[in-house]
Amino acid sequence: MNREETIEKLKGIVKPYIKNDEAFQNLTEDTDFIKDLQINSANLVDIILDVEEVFGIEIDNQSMEKMLNIKAALEIIETKTAGK
Amino acid sequence: MIGNDVIDIDLAKTESNWKRKGFLDKIFTFSEQLQIHHAENHELMVWSLWSRKEAAYKIFNRETTIRLYNPLQFECSEMKFSEGIYSGSVTNKGIVYFTKTEITPNSIHTIAVSDKNDFSKIYELKDRSALTKRDGIPETDTKKPVSISHHGRFERIVSL
Repeated sequence: MNREETIEKLKGIVKPYIKNDEAFQNLTEDTDFIKDLQINSANLVDIILDVEEVFGIEIDNQSMEKMLNIKAALEIIETKTAGK
Repeated sequence: MIGNDVIDIDLAKTESNWKRKGFLDKIFTFSEQLQIHHAENHELMVWSLWSRKEAAYKIFNRETTIRLYNPLQFECSEMKFSEGIYSGSVTNKGIVYFTKTEITPNSIHTIAVSDKNDFSKIYELKDRSALTKRDGIPETDTKKPVSISHHGRFERIVSL
């Protein structure tokens, strides 16, 4: 899976939780889940659980700590799926 | 320093399914999950613990400027109930934050402080009109730190 495909899948996961449509439409790798998409911090857990299910990976606590923006999420997904 | 977090319980019910498989394990330690298990109202305990972690994280973030998402690292003690308020603490890598939590049928509001003596100084503001910002942190005209939390129907603004 290339990065564009991973981003598309990730956008599908994130979409139900966003509170700022404009930031979502203009999403880049620098987009922040909380500051830009205004996702409720309790819903970040749902995103992490959804990512685990969709990509068939396990996100440990150390990785979860960094999952604040699209770029960090992509890096975690890429690292974990590469190891499969 | 001060941090607060308010939760609109009705909104939390629609936004989150805390019974979802894996949800509690990602954010609550074993001892916190025991507190939930033993609570009369599981849901209120889930959101009380969460608001305490959030309020304590706000202080951590302000004091260190570090942003991270690691709810397990902020561990809540058991709360003691006295005069309508639940008191407790949250520990992050040996650093202790003190919390006071008010629970009503519709909302949960936690105020955390890094110095226990600050509890007597806390006051609540009605709106944001008198506030300015320094380094992204709101403060009063007398340069006291302010913490603002908004969720659903509720907004709470507290200062020292």
